[in-house]
Amino acid sequence: MSENTATNSRLIATKAALWCLVGAAAVVVGVRYALGLGLTTALTDTTPWGMWIGFDVLSGVALAAGGFVLAAAVHIFGRERYHGIVRPAILTAFLGYLGVIIGLLVDLGRPWNIWRPVFQQNLHSPLFEVAMCVMLYTTVLALEFAPTALERWRRAQPVVRLLRRLVLPLVITGICLSTLHQSSLGTMFLLTEGRMHPLWYSPLQSPLFLISAVALGLGMVTLEGVVSAWLYRRKAEWQLFGGLTRAAAVVLGLYLVVRLVDLGVRGMLGHAVDGSGFAVLFWLELALSAVLPILLFTLPQSRGQPWAHGWGALLVVAGFVLHRADVGGISHVAITGEAYVPALTEVVTSLGIVAGLALVFLFCVERLRIWEEPPAAPDLFARTAFDPVGRQYIGAPWFGGGQRAVLALVVGAIAGVILVEAQVAVRERTRAAPVAAPKNALIVRAQNPSGPGHDFELVASSGETPFDAGVDLHPVILIDSGGAERYVLFEHEAHQGRLGGQTACALCHHRNVPLDLATSCAQCHRDMFETTDTFSHARHETALGGRESCATCHVDADAPKSRAAAKACDDCHRPPRPDATLVRATIELPAGLAPGYLDAMHGLCLRCHLQEDAAAGEPHLGRCATCHRNRFDDKDELIRRTRSVARAGGSGGPGLEEAKGMNP
Amino acid sequence: MSSFAILTDVTKCTGCEECVLACKVTNETGLRDTPRKWQGAATDLSSTRWTTIARTGNRHVRVHCRHCLEPGCAAACPVGALHTTDEGVVAYDPSICLGCRYCMVACPFRMTRYEWGSANPRVRKCILCYEKITGGELKQPACTAACPEGATIFGARDDLLAEARRRIGDDPNRYIDHVWGEHEVGGTSVLYISDVDLVQAGWPSQLPRDAVPELADMVLHTVPTTFVSVGMAMAGIHWVIKRRQKLAAEAAAATAAGPAAAETVTPGDEEQS
Ligand code: SF4
Ligand code: SF4
Repeated sequence: MSENTATNSRLIATKAALWCLVGAAAVVVGVRYALGLGLTTALTDTTPWGMWIGFDVLSGVALAAGGFVLAAAVHIFGRERYHGIVRPAILTAFLGYLGVIIGLLVDLGRPWNIWRPVFQQNLHSPLFEVAMCVMLYTTVLALEFAPTALERWRRAQPVVRLLRRLVLPLVITGICLSTLHQSSLGTMFLLTEGRMHPLWYSPLQSPLFLISAVALGLGMVTLEGVVSAWLYRRKAEWQLFGGLTRAAAVVLGLYLVVRLVDLGVRGMLGHAVDGSGFAVLFWLELALSAVLPILLFTLPQSRGQPWAHGWGALLVVAGFVLHRADVGGISHVAITGEAYVPALTEVVTSLGIVAGLALVFLFCVERLRIWEEPPAAPDLFARTAFDPVGRQYIGAPWFGGGQRAVLALVVGAIAGVILVEAQVAVRERTRAAPVAAPKNALIVRAQNPSGPGHDFELVASSGETPFDAGVDLHPVILIDSGGAERYVLFEHEAHQGRLGGQTACALCHHRNVPLDLATSCAQCHRDMFETTDTFSHARHETALGGRESCATCHVDADAPKSRAAAKACDDCHRPPRPDATLVRATIELPAGLAPGYLDAMHGLCLRCHLQEDAAAGEPHLGRCATCHRNRFDDKDELIRRTRSVARAGGSGGPGLEEAKGMNP
Repeated sequence: MSSFAILTDVTKCTGCEECVLACKVTNETGLRDTPRKWQGAATDLSSTRWTTIARTGNRHVRVHCRHCLEPGCAAACPVGALHTTDEGVVAYDPSICLGCRYCMVACPFRMTRYEWGSANPRVRKCILCYEKITGGELKQPACTAACPEGATIFGARDDLLAEARRRIGDDPNRYIDHVWGEHEVGGTSVLYISDVDLVQAGWPSQLPRDAVPELADMVLHTVPTTFVSVGMAMAGIHWVIKRRQKLAAEAAAATAAGPAAAETVTPGDEEQS
């Protein structure tokens, strides 16, 4: 016999946890709408679908398959004994589809356009078919569920009677739509042949999705029955589940055969035994979703046992959720080589949607006639908690279900805020694109200066060109050019000579760190793309006498102690840039901020190059390729070659080994 | 011009990235790329960089949307936001896009990019300066106009194919006898000739053999038939089973009393599974 819903501690704890998840998810979803998908997901351009598609949408639809399977069993095949579990199955399906729609609204980049497929049809798109099926089948499910929701409301009786009469057409439409929809989810992955691991790509994707959805639906109905029996401490319909799991075993067997035969016929079974991580994942998925459940449902030791129903159904559900995730994303990673691990915010959102739907399910179970024998309502003859005459609570819990829900929701929301904040912090940190310090290297000076921009061409290594043929070794500097191991080749000596020898350093090496003659550019311009803070507050504070010294720089006592309101650097320090410097500040940055490396270097080099280009009529000087030269992009290749050159030819220049970084 | 196409001669490209710059200026994507760090290098394709140069060994290969003759992206798009124009350009209309990103999943070359940091995100990729050319603002795409080496040129697909064949014929020792894009995934409007195998230079090695939309199209053609036949089958089965149950009940009622009737129904019921 089931227990009173108001005092069942299992139920109270479960509901609190669910509300918590809903709260956290609500916060994440808010952030997602305000700031886009980038912050709240780990999706990338090469893995554009992740957990929200794989779990919320693909699995959501499949989990809802119990609805049409049971409706077919009872209304079409006349298996009347399952009548008692049709209602929970239809409710699950309806909620599952609501979940899919909510999941889509969160995942779609421009959700306000979700209705567009109704009017702008692309009949070649499997997703168009999916979209139409979702819309139509959700409507059908709503109509199938409506009588249950409305039956206690006297005024709605005509509608209820009408819908009851329409059951058969509705069920048949539902089956047709489900057949199409479950399989069209598979059809979607016929467009991704070049991007999926061969163990998951299959031309038979559509039937595979359909078959597995049937099995999954049966598993889901069973699991749900077992769980709610536990939750409400009531008796589960074990004999019925026996029938469901027997049917599931047959369908799972069919799935297994089709899947393996398909792989075999296409000659892809080899991938399953190549020992890779994906082969392991494949077998794990197959074991969870099909092999183990079939054994549990059919072996004489476990067949018909309550525990076997529960665990088997759980395996089926877990296994096929994994399958949908594999097809929807994980198997794409195998080909694109991009790692996708769902962000915590994605996981929380998915769980939050499921939690919200579970709460609606529990609500329906408690208020409507979902089961033949509904859970016991609160005891009507118990002492009332509130005395309406005396307007006071009498020895009753002051903390009822409503307050509990709100409290859990708030706790969840706070957790959500913390989670998003933490994620932002991590993301911002990974934002920096550090710059490698310049390196010294040796290069062979070419004989064929076929125009400016080509006079450095590395002609050959020792094996290919005789070095006595006037080829001279030449020290150069390799300057980081955009990460990815790409370098600009810079003739330091030549530039120095042209600009005035030893006196020229400050032209480029402006504002050096104290006591340094030629600070490397990369020391202050530390990020490839972002401005960097070069100002050390702590150091100034110590040097100027600690806490007493604030007013030295923050002269206006009333102004907030901000960088903008403080004294400028060159109020104390000699002008940071000497008069003749080639560096021109093009962007006004607050004191102490150095521009990004890319801007700084381009600003410094290009200005002269473009000027000289115009003045001396050297049309190549201002071109990208003058500095970003083809042959030197591959640093390892360059160093390998120059090494062998140095060994073969010898030279007065610095050896590669000792030349690590150009600055002291 | 009947069809818009681009031919890139890998042997001529110096990797100066002026096409990249021209694209950025014309499409106003900003002069600097600050991608999310975990999304690859700044020099990869991104929502602000619709064309880039892939550098492998000593070769530079332009990378941008191939404008497939039978594009996976356009077949995927449920609303036709991505669509093929009469000129063979795969163009994009953000106003009807749902942001489902199915187009990104369905591009065999992985060319589509997304504005992940926006609350109103768009799919970004090369659109061959379609609107600017048909609007008369440009004579040819900004990238081909900007190339100082003539390494990437614009024209009608047939003309460019002939040109590619001519160059290969004139200098067979220089080129590999293959025009990339002539037949791959059903043909693309962006063609390449090269002296090295492009699969070693950034081309996806696992391209599908046929045009991407073919198989899905076949399956989609069966949709109406499936809908009708499943519906008829269900109605048929329902009718047969109900009739059998009724006959069984009648037979049972004829021979015995009520409770016995219920028992005879159940075994008949079992046989159906
Ligand atoms: S390369 Fe990709 S984005 Fe471009 S047309 Fe082909 S499928 Fe579409
Ligand atoms: S993201 Fe937009 S363009 Fe791409 S398939 Fe979806 S609706 Fe079409």
